[in-house]
Amino acid sequence: MITILNTEKVNLLVAHEITNGDSDLSALDAYFMHEVANMPRGRGVLACIQCGRCTSSCLVARVVEEHNPRKLMETIILGLRSDVLRGQLPWHCLSCFTCLDRCPQGGDVGEAMFAIRNLAVREGNIPNGIVVQAQSLFETGRVVTPSRMALVNRKKYGLGKEPTVDVEAVKKILRKTSFDKLIYRGS
Amino acid sequence: MVIGGGIAGIQASSDLANRGFKVYLVEKSPSIGGRMAQLDKTFPTMDCSMCILAPKMIECARHPNVQLLTYSEVRGVNGSVGNFKVKVVRKPRYVDETKCTGCGICSDNCPAEAPNEFDENLGIRKAIYMPFPQAVPRLVTVDKDNCIECGLCENVCPANAVNREQQPEEIVLDVGAIVVATGFDMFDPSVIPQYGYKRFKNVITAMELERTLCASGPTGGHLIRPSDGKIPRSIAFIQCVGSRDRRKWIDHPYCSSICCKYAVKDAVLIKEHEPDSRVTIFYIDMRAFGRGFQEFVNRAKSEFGILFIRSNPGEISENPNTNNLIVWFEDLITRTVHNATFDLVVLCPTLIPRKGVEELAKILGVELDNYGFFKSVDAVKKPLDTTVPGIFACGYCLGPKTGDVPDSVAQGSATAGRIAEVLAGMEVS
Amino acid sequence: MKYAFFLGCLIPAREPNYEHSVRKIASELGIELVEMEGANCCAPFSIQSVDYASWLALAARNLCIAEEMGLDILTLCNDCYESLLMTNTILKEDKETRDKVNEVLADVGLEFKGKTNVKIFSDALYEDIGLEKVKNAIKEPFNGLRVAVQPGCHLTKPKRIHFEEIVAAAALDELVEATGAESIAYERKEACCGGPLRGINDEVALHVAKQKLDGVKTAGADCIVTVCPFCYNELDMGQLEIKRHFKQEYDLPVLHFAELLRMAMGMKLEDWEVKAHRIPITKILNIKETK
Repeated sequence: MITILNTEKVNLLVAHEITNGDSDLSALDAYFMHEVANMPRGRGVLACIQCGRCTSSCLVARVVEEHNPRKLMETIILGLRSDVLRGQLPWHCLSCFTCLDRCPQGGDVGEAMFAIRNLAVREGNIPNGIVVQAQSLFETGRVVTPSRMALVNRKKYGLGKEPTVDVEAVKKILRKTSFDKLIYRGS
Repeated sequence: MVIGGGIAGIQASSDLANRGFKVYLVEKSPSIGGRMAQLDKTFPTMDCSMCILAPKMIECARHPNVQLLTYSEVRGVNGSVGNFKVKVVRKPRYVDETKCTGCGICSDNCPAEAPNEFDENLGIRKAIYMPFPQAVPRLVTVDKDNCIECGLCENVCPANAVNREQQPEEIVLDVGAIVVATGFDMFDPSVIPQYGYKRFKNVITAMELERTLCASGPTGGHLIRPSDGKIPRSIAFIQCVGSRDRRKWIDHPYCSSICCKYAVKDAVLIKEHEPDSRVTIFYIDMRAFGRGFQEFVNRAKSEFGILFIRSNPGEISENPNTNNLIVWFEDLITRTVHNATFDLVVLCPTLIPRKGVEELAKILGVELDNYGFFKSVDAVKKPLDTTVPGIFACGYCLGPKTGDVPDSVAQGSATAGRIAEVLAGMEVS
Repeated sequence: MKYAFFLGCLIPAREPNYEHSVRKIASELGIELVEMEGANCCAPFSIQSVDYASWLALAARNLCIAEEMGLDILTLCNDCYESLLMTNTILKEDKETRDKVNEVLADVGLEFKGKTNVKIFSDALYEDIGLEKVKNAIKEPFNGLRVAVQPGCHLTKPKRIHFEEIVAAAALDELVEATGAESIAYERKEACCGGPLRGINDEVALHVAKQKLDGVKTAGADCIVTVCPFCYNELDMGQLEIKRHFKQEYDLPVLHFAELLRMAMGMKLEDWEVKAHRIPITKILNIKETK
């Protein structure tokens, strides 16, 4: 007979079960849900009723067992902050917004993915593929630049002059928002 | 005057008539009975719906103080409490009400067919038709839109009751009070394309299932599926189709309060018809409040072996060869995404205000709430009074706070009481 | 019609054939494409994943450039479209966010005023030029070509941003059918191609692309037509990779919608453009030849 005295204990039991006992349960953060809800793209977290329609619609969830939008919301609400931010789940999202369009309560889980990614990046969790694009953006104003061959061909195909980019303006903006600090770490 | 001949309206009329009031019961369709007439059984007692309803319909219709005005609509209201003048248009049946005996020979001979609205357009009826076998009043009606004017009905009618010259009749009635009891419609799930309603033959709504299971329905009570007439061996119910939905283009954020109940009832009905079938209910929450209902759910699980899965499916696809349906859902025990194949999928849509209620509200001058249901002037002190004194409402037209049949009946009686109270001390014309 | 032409990063770098077809169509239909001097990357999803404020500021800079030109923006890429449209919507509606972004933009001498609109190529043709004018320009219709149209996720989702716009996927279908081809129904037409994960998690991207290609193949399409360069790349190059990893071939050529339209308008593809398709498009060209 378990007498449940407070919700923290219940959350611990559930958290233990859904993470197979692997996570650091002493670090349950009851405020995490509100931290996410206060971010512009995380507003929907408080509306989630855990109905599971998002996961049932998610194309990636059918391919990657770990990827589960409803579970992301569940772990945010439970307060498993370090699991969520250290994990790979948010990085498998295609941003196709199918889940967002189908959610009946405005949970905006597709947007919450971005909020979580932003938080994760602040703590140093960022896939290499994105670092490469981000650094290219900072240095050239574009996430992918035309090769020398592509520029030569442009002339050949009669596509007009090479599109210009004001790299200095881009750098100014990204320094002001501290973007550079996020993508150049310990280098 | 009672507008709406469903169970709530019938109860209100009977109670008022018993108290000595004269009641005009105005009903838009050719017969009274409403939604309850379309049901096979009621929950949780699994009583035959028509067996409970029919005696009430007849008692009401035969009461000397009740005048049935079926196939009629309210077109204008003037005056105030105690002294309303209501303009009612009696649509032409093209059948003389005083002569027709309801024998049905005309329908048997009629060559023109139309979809049967009572059977949710699953079966057909004739252009001259009796809406359902237990219709009250027991009269046929001619549907001019589908009538081919062949005149056969006129020739064969033994009572000479067909009158093709009949015109709409406008009458003005003096009444002291009005009761609105217009009930509900079912939301059309084709607005949610992922569930495949109308695209996939074997995705049906719960009301279509009721008509299929009903012995007086289009299949004679045999559970067969639309695509090939085979008996489905695996059936899925999907709850909350359109309800609890805040999206702008759906906009039914409320819970309809009876869908969980009718789903479990229908699931048990299916198991009674086909004990070997596998029935699964996909739900978000199982709202089994009230007396007898949680017990009913428990019976459904233990006695009937119905599977309850807490997961809201995201989409349904179809196997084009078998017309079977593939439902994608997340198994909340293992937390993995699965799909399962079913022969038949039943959607449980949200319940919405009847079509035409907005115009009626304008005519009456009463306010509707932001979901289109009739608004109580005060939810706690006067829950059955609309915003216009002397106009009352009962049943589902007041919104989904009504539980089920007993609640509608109780509200019907209560409005009768309210009217008696209001009119008791007034000079009534 | 005049537009501020936003090319984005991917097309100049990898898909010049798309740009070429668009320019040809534009000159035929009297559309003027004005270069946006100094425009930067739109800030696609990969960048949005890093930081919210950076995204809004970068996208807003492009919107400001178009505002100063006094023109609406025309994009060719669903990702650019989504980024710029979302930013435009957020900044137009939310004063607090707009003020914060304008603080950053002040450093580069710009201010977001909310005066421009963002359009994608197919919507611009449908809304501004009109289906009739497009139909009249068709000289060599593709009769009998069965096309699986890939609208792409960000043409129509999230619905609450795109909802008030015309129904873009239906417009694209009508435009494809205006060229004489048939836009067939297939399972999971609204599903994602997998493109956004390319370069971040290629394996998952391929699995998702495979689901899409399976649906198209089952429905018996001759080819796929898309508006988005990510979809184009994922479904075209993706077929080669799927052949390598899953040993499965589809032989489904992928065309940009602009290429389809330009050919239907009587302008043949040049050699280099034909070669730009990794899955050969010979059977489509043959259909044209035999007419």
